[in-house]
Amino acid sequence: MEHTDKVNPLQRRTRSWSFYRRRRNFSSEHVTSQQQQDSGDVPMDSQARYAPYAVPSRHQRSSFQKQDQIHINMEIKQKPPERRMERGRQNETVGSWFKIIIPFGIKYDEKWLLNLIQKQCSVPFIPVEFHYEKMQAQFFVENANIACALKNVNGKIFNEDNEKISIFVEPCDTPRSVQKALKSEKVEQMKLSSLDQSNKKPYVVHSLSTIMENASHTKNWNLSNIEVKSAGEMDKGQQLEPGRMGADRTAMCTTSPDKSTNISTILELFPKLLSLDGQEKPSGSKCAIEVPKYLPMCKGSFFGSEELKSLILQFLQQYYLIHDYGDRQGLLCAYHEEACFSLTIPFRLKDPGPSSMCAYFKNSRNMKKLKDPDLRFQLLKHTKCDIVQALCGLPKTQHDFRSFMVDMWFQTETMLCFSVNGVFKEIEGRYPGCVRAFSRTFITTPATSSSFCIVNDKLFVSDFSPEKTASALHPKA
Amino acid sequence: MRKFRSDWSQGDREQYQGRNYFSEEPHTSYSWRGNRGQEDVVTSPLKKKDSSDSPMAMAVEFKTYVDQACRAAEEFVNIYYETMDKRRRALTRLYLDKATLIWNGNVVTGLEALANFFDMLPSSEFQVNMLDCQPVHEQATQAQTTVLVVTSGTVKFDGNKQHYFNQNFLLTAQTTANNTVWKIASDCFRFQDWAAI
Repeated sequence: MEHTDKVNPLQRRTRSWSFYRRRRNFSSEHVTSQQQQDSGDVPMDSQARYAPYAVPSRHQRSSFQKQDQIHINMEIKQKPPERRMERGRQNETVGSWFKIIIPFGIKYDEKWLLNLIQKQCSVPFIPVEFHYEKMQAQFFVENANIACALKNVNGKIFNEDNEKISIFVEPCDTPRSVQKALKSEKVEQMKLSSLDQSNKKPYVVHSLSTIMENASHTKNWNLSNIEVKSAGEMDKGQQLEPGRMGADRTAMCTTSPDKSTNISTILELFPKLLSLDGQEKPSGSKCAIEVPKYLPMCKGSFFGSEELKSLILQFLQQYYLIHDYGDRQGLLCAYHEEACFSLTIPFRLKDPGPSSMCAYFKNSRNMKKLKDPDLRFQLLKHTKCDIVQALCGLPKTQHDFRSFMVDMWFQTETMLCFSVNGVFKEIEGRYPGCVRAFSRTFITTPATSSSFCIVNDKLFVSDFSPEKTASALHPKA
Repeated sequence: MRKFRSDWSQGDREQYQGRNYFSEEPHTSYSWRGNRGQEDVVTSPLKKKDSSDSPMAMAVEFKTYVDQACRAAEEFVNIYYETMDKRRRALTRLYLDKATLIWNGNVVTGLEALANFFDMLPSSEFQVNMLDCQPVHEQATQAQTTVLVVTSGTVKFDGNKQHYFNQNFLLTAQTTANNTVWKIASDCFRFQDWAAI
């Protein structure tokens, strides 16, 4: 039972030894550590705090009862500054922003989703900066009434498979696009206000008036203690979230997921998660849904391609034919001249009993327990002669091919890494019939145009425990 | 440790600027340099094998090479599992950007996919009982310094029962004049449920 995904699109070649596909050329693709750190890594420590939303005195926002003028931010970008000045209102309120989160929203088309929500929502809303973030769909809305109405949509909408779609709402900072737009407008304002002294007013903000100042200078604002007055119905315990917005997101644009970037394949790995409803509310500190605890399904052997599969299986058959039924000296030809081999068994304080692994013990190299560098070095068998000699000293075995689980996990033109997990039986020696579990990793490289040899061989042997297997395969309901 | 030798190749001399690598203990460190996080696995620069040396010299060099590989592996494993358990979001820093993970037969390729994958995986408690490593032969790696690291132990994912696991890593070294940063090129993880320890 196995599946073969294509690891590399350039799989199909006919030359016999060209099964080492060129997946990566290390020497030409050195990634500097700086690049590594800068790419896509969200620092856990303090992020830049966004400037508060400061409204210039001449540009008065409407109160949020007037629905049609609420989302002035959308118009800001389009109209020239002079036009905006004309909209002077005396009753100004600062917008309170809320982030709307739809868990697993990435599954849904933006338009479809927003339409669906609007149908159930008692007030019209205009979503700002709709985007997908990991598995979620997110957007912002500007006032608490709307946010509340959206919150009430939770549990009332369903997808095409009749699964509930959840909506969560939390207070947040002004979205960056809005801040940018206002900032540029403010610059214009300031230019004009320097000519007009008669209408100087402090920025009018409701409860925040004592602490707000020019937005452009206060990058390190910590808004976490500020209570938004109108958010009385919101959970007070939620922190304001600085907002994780991609630097390349332009204001008001929507982003659609690039399906080729594995997000959909990630979703496929966690199928159980997609059909759940009633996830916990996001906690402000994490800004993430508490994800239920499912693991991806365990799959069978992975080879990468049919070609590699037959190659690897052929190799294993030949190797174990000699190893189990022939003279292990015959394995000399399987190894590179300077190959490495080491063996490890689990650490035991004492080793009595019928399943003793003392035959392996003296060769066991476990760096967790063994600290002496000299001894560590000795236990690493280094040439093919040493290796085969060590193998000849181990008990005679019979490997069970049906138990083999194989993973091909790295390949280049010159290197192939694969691991085998399975069981074997000891045939002779002190404990004939004793079953062991093993895990073995081979790294091979082409030797000639039609053959390859082992450069690294790592074997791990442990006891086989049927009771544990039974409980592992049949978990309690 | 042997001293810097005058008959090393010119290339070596230039690269190492005359420092005595073998007169001091090779060391690993959690180095905090500017914005480099504590997750990075950094060691002192590795001395590459010089095939023009005498067999005796080569043997000594190989041993040193193995020692350095072991230190890097140990350091790496400590950091990796601690990061996996306690700072999961930082885990992708340990991977090359095109690294691949085969997780119980599921393939995950590239940093973005890895980040998403690790995000979705429940929280974990790893216990590593076995660790071994080998330097990978340069014929296979085309002289890109690489270490095979193999671990085994138990893991408990939140909401799931405990499993035995085996894990393989290919660690590659990115060497500058001052240090070496190790990153995972490939990662293979399997539950080993028929094993008993």
